Amino acid sequence: MRTKGVLLICFILVISLLCAGCTEKDKEQDNGASLQDKTWEEIVEEANGTTVSFYGWGGNEKINRWLDTTVAVELKERYNISLERVPMVPNEYLPKLLNEKQLKAEGTIDIVWINGENFYNAKNQDLLYGPFTQMLPNFNQFIDTDSPDVEYDFGHPVEGYEAPYGKAQMVFIGETAVIKKLPTNHVELKELAEKHVGKITYPDLTDFTGSAFIRNIIYDIVGYEAFLELEADKEVVREVIQPALDYLVDLKPYLWRQGESYPATIAQLDNMYADGEVLMTMNYTPFHIAGKIADGTFTKTSQSFLFDKGTIGNTHFMGLPFNAPNKAGALVVINHILSPEVQVTKYDPTVWGDLPVTDPNLLNDQQKQLFESVELGEGVIPQDILLQHRVPEMRAELVPIIEELWREVVLGHE
Amino acid sequence: MRVKWIIKYIILTGLLFPLLMMIGWSITSGWSWPSLIPQGFTFRAYSYVLEPTTGVFKILINSMILSIVVTALTLLVSIPAARAIAFYDFKGKSVVKVLILLPLIVPMLTVAMGVHLRFIQVGLANTFWGVVLIHVIPGIPYGVKILLNVFELNGNKIETHARILGASPLQVIRYVTLPLITPGLIIAGSIIYIASFSQYFITFLIGGGRIVTYAMFLFPFVESGDRTMASALSIVFILSITLVLFITEKIVGNFYEKSSRYYV
Repeated sequence: MRTKGVLLICFILVISLLCAGCTEKDKEQDNGASLQDKTWEEIVEEANGTTVSFYGWGGNEKINRWLDTTVAVELKERYNISLERVPMVPNEYLPKLLNEKQLKAEGTIDIVWINGENFYNAKNQDLLYGPFTQMLPNFNQFIDTDSPDVEYDFGHPVEGYEAPYGKAQMVFIGETAVIKKLPTNHVELKELAEKHVGKITYPDLTDFTGSAFIRNIIYDIVGYEAFLELEADKEVVREVIQPALDYLVDLKPYLWRQGESYPATIAQLDNMYADGEVLMTMNYTPFHIAGKIADGTFTKTSQSFLFDKGTIGNTHFMGLPFNAPNKAGALVVINHILSPEVQVTKYDPTVWGDLPVTDPNLLNDQQKQLFESVELGEGVIPQDILLQHRVPEMRAELVPIIEELWREVVLGHE
Repeated sequence: MRVKWIIKYIILTGLLFPLLMMIGWSITSGWSWPSLIPQGFTFRAYSYVLEPTTGVFKILINSMILSIVVTALTLLVSIPAARAIAFYDFKGKSVVKVLILLPLIVPMLTVAMGVHLRFIQVGLANTFWGVVLIHVIPGIPYGVKILLNVFELNGNKIETHARILGASPLQVIRYVTLPLITPGLIIAGSIIYIASFSQYFITFLIGGGRIVTYAMFLFPFVESGDRTMASALSIVFILSITLVLFITEKIVGNFYEKSSRYYV
């Protein structure tokens, strides 16, 4: 008797739970095709009073604050749109989108912050909505649509499936209180390591920045032109990067712990640098250092530097999932972020320190003045010098091959 | 005596020292070897926590409600299961015992991907109840295992006495079974609560970002290596858990004392 009763209760519970879910009616799904025919004013009108969810990395309080305040407040005032930020990265939301694609379900994500391999995979699997960038007035007006930074994302054509958000560029950071002359190429870097044995290292290649550092060393030795048309075959790549692999093997004994282990993340390397355990760190956000000096994590004598032949730069983008519930709202938000007045707010290193995607040549004097009046802070390299020393990322599919070769040849070297 | 005293304090220091380090880290801008005390003072982490736009407290409260519901539901499932395994003999009992531990053995990640598909179909994806249900799964092994031991230790003789003396089944549950297993319930409940509160990926997948828990808010900071921020947020994390456990123990403890003095 009693067991039956318990069973019944459990059964009712499960059913009622399922029904609680059922009652949530699916909203009518707008596949976005109709948006293409609408004028911009109609899209803005449609977005009025809606909520837009923005999914992206949430590990930096400054970026979070910028989106939550500067961007969100203005969106509310100008377009009556509420911006909701969700701290979720591609590795977490792409599986979700894949499942939703399989069942053609309605989504929850309006905007994703994405680039590189994730973009390539998402676009190949039809997880993104587009092309949409041609619909955005600010994209057409302020962005150099023919520049490789906007047309290509890690060597893959963007084709209007994502809009640029900001630009990043690799910089190295050195402690000038100890290092008298900062290295300007890979040879000087090795001399520095020989002079300060065990005080230089780079993040493991499972880390994004560590991987970029190795590509930068390879560029410095064999030049980036070698990779433009390179076939994504391990042996072919090995032949091209062999001099760089030899260099890294030679460098290995002078590194931290004789190069037998590497910091797992850039965060760990930053912390080691802050603790004085190593003399050099690096970052893919060029003005990262200004924030770190300002909040006291890095010493005032820290200085960022570049290689003469340049460092790798990439662009990060915003895209719309295929099943974004509020596509009109998403377009308005992206358009708003592309305006020079918003781009300049995140250019400020105390706010974020992200390079703008707007093209200086397409701005009027007043807008140019906005960018020039930004105080860049300590230890940074000005934007024009950065852009003169900027080389593009190689194609996304070459990256894992290089990482594999590094593990085999450099890490595996006894 | 002296030795016992020393051991006690060594253990206490071992437990509390990492916490002290964390408090130090949460208010410092730099703390590098070889200095013993933090070198700079900053309130940036706590000021971020207290900023209204971040909505930390809203997320924290939502998280607590979610985990409390999960705990209640898991216990509701675990009590009959543990009782059945303890007192009844049925075919395949040992298999069931192993199956109950499966959520701890099979990675939740793989299960969650399949569950997500099914949840989309029945409309549970991106809902509060969907997240509750997926959180119940990893909680069940703890709930059943702990309560199973409690039931086995207590036996069902006292319950039988009550029945013989004319108590109805409901009265037995209310006046005999519940008071007897209360200590076990508190322990199992605490562990289930903590397990639910710390879930990360499955909340993401099933909640789809509509349900944001505190762990989701905290994790990106830990990952990005911002020690000051991660420490401050972790302290809030620990405090919130301690608070909930403390309150439960107080409430349940009172109830337990009142109703059980006749039996123990």
